[in-house]
Amino acid sequence: MSPPPISTSEAGVRAEPGSFRDPGNRVFYLDGQVLRGLDRRATEDWHALATSEFFPPLLTAGKVCGTEPVDRDTLSVPDENCWDTVLRHERIPFVSYPYEWSFGMLRDAALLHLEILTAALNSGFTTKDGSAYNLQWRGSTPVFIDIGSFERARDGEPWAGYRQFCQTLLYPLMLQAHLDLDFQPWLRSRIDGVEPGQMRRVFGGTRRFSAGVLKHVYLHDAMQARHADASTGTVRAELRDAGFSRDLVLSGVRAVEKLVRRLDWQPPASHWEQYRQTCGYSDADRERKERFVEAALVGASPQLVLDLGANDGDYSRLAARHAAYVVAAESDPAVVENLYRRLRADGEQRILPLVLDLADPSSGGGWGGVERASFAARADADAVLALAVIHHLAIGRNVPLPQVVDWLVGFLATAGSRGRLVAEFVHPEDPMARRLLANKPAGLFPDYRREEFERLLARRCDITAREELPSGTRTLYVGVPRG
Amino acid sequence: MRDEMKGAAEMDLAYLDAGSGSLIVQAVIGGAAGVAVAAKLYWRRLVGRLRRQPAEKD
Repeated sequence: MSPPPISTSEAGVRAEPGSFRDPGNRVFYLDGQVLRGLDRRATEDWHALATSEFFPPLLTAGKVCGTEPVDRDTLSVPDENCWDTVLRHERIPFVSYPYEWSFGMLRDAALLHLEILTAALNSGFTTKDGSAYNLQWRGSTPVFIDIGSFERARDGEPWAGYRQFCQTLLYPLMLQAHLDLDFQPWLRSRIDGVEPGQMRRVFGGTRRFSAGVLKHVYLHDAMQARHADASTGTVRAELRDAGFSRDLVLSGVRAVEKLVRRLDWQPPASHWEQYRQTCGYSDADRERKERFVEAALVGASPQLVLDLGANDGDYSRLAARHAAYVVAAESDPAVVENLYRRLRADGEQRILPLVLDLADPSSGGGWGGVERASFAARADADAVLALAVIHHLAIGRNVPLPQVVDWLVGFLATAGSRGRLVAEFVHPEDPMARRLLANKPAGLFPDYRREEFERLLARRCDITAREELPSGTRTLYVGVPRG
Repeated sequence: MRDEMKGAAEMDLAYLDAGSGSLIVQAVIGGAAGVAVAAKLYWRRLVGRLRRQPAEKD
């Protein structure tokens, strides 16, 4: 019998809107804890998992998220009979989604999923699914979060998650590696990922001979069309009778892993070089700016810093010296890829790089529009860095300046007097601002002035620090939100 | 009992629709041994169909 869902109306309990597809186990929040309720069957799987050979080492290595059973007596879950077992998970510092990751992030997430599946298969377990949403990040390190996905493998059955793995991990990687197409918009617009039929249309002509395409796209699509009427139960039984074995599952997973390792994408170098040449800072500017940002954060000890328009991540690194966690958001997937590679090489666990267009941040998605939370709903920050980014929004994207200020202050809504908005206003006379203004009709932005920005900022914040950089065309501010 | 009947009697315990075609394609990606399994599956289906046809004519 399926347990009744824990509803948000029950005191203190908040159901995770993205956790409903597997009725046997669901994630919910209570008193700041991340909990997972298991029904009878899922409880059996958990007991087998906890005493298995493969799971405890993965837990120790941090490859799966920290999980421990909770003594039911210590929990104030309103209906004690809802779940047979409740588990407590470690809290992921900032939840992100595959359409916010760079190519390398998606690839490393895919490889971790396959590594964990292989370990499970070797111990007589499997995963029920193969979704990119099974993974999250601790900084630049992927972590498998869907503990409810493990179950004992049944002899002679293929991996149930293969199609999902293709649609949410393998196909997006192929789009970027083979066609140099950014995969993020594909994943963002389709919660179940890219379908084989869509891939087939994109990989026409000689593109079909790119690595993995004939088997995983063409054959897959043809098989789906041919067997559309057959139930999966029937096919599973037929495969078992024909001699399908666990070894075959393992060799299939090995083949997919080999393919994923072959998929490579080199971000265009021009993004980097261009930034370095055109960022428009003198050494004196840079030094003063670093000092200013550092002074704004030191002592504030923020839990979460949003670095909006993070670019090469220099200020994210600086912020990480004083903050528990930093989200480095940047719209260019190639720039995020370079940043991720450097953070990964450094083993950085407290800076999460994300692909995010600030003028089009991730909206809510999936069932009810809340199965995947919007960026705004996830981003309760204690500090926001908006360095050399406001002019891109106000001039480049025509966002009215008052709305830019309100949007930035909005991230600090729950921070109270601990909140810090560190903003850089690029004057209209600055070469970078002039370059943006040159592409717009004269007089389009009469409000884009330093005095007006200061007035708008002062309306929402106490301005606790202000400094003009030596170049004389940029001013830095620290705003502490009022009320 | 015919293979198809036996299959239909199987209860699918997975919460996720794995896709029938996606299950069969996994035999092929696993290498030569997997291709043999897929071939055997199709052979059995063919034999099953041929056996059934005369019976249906009766």
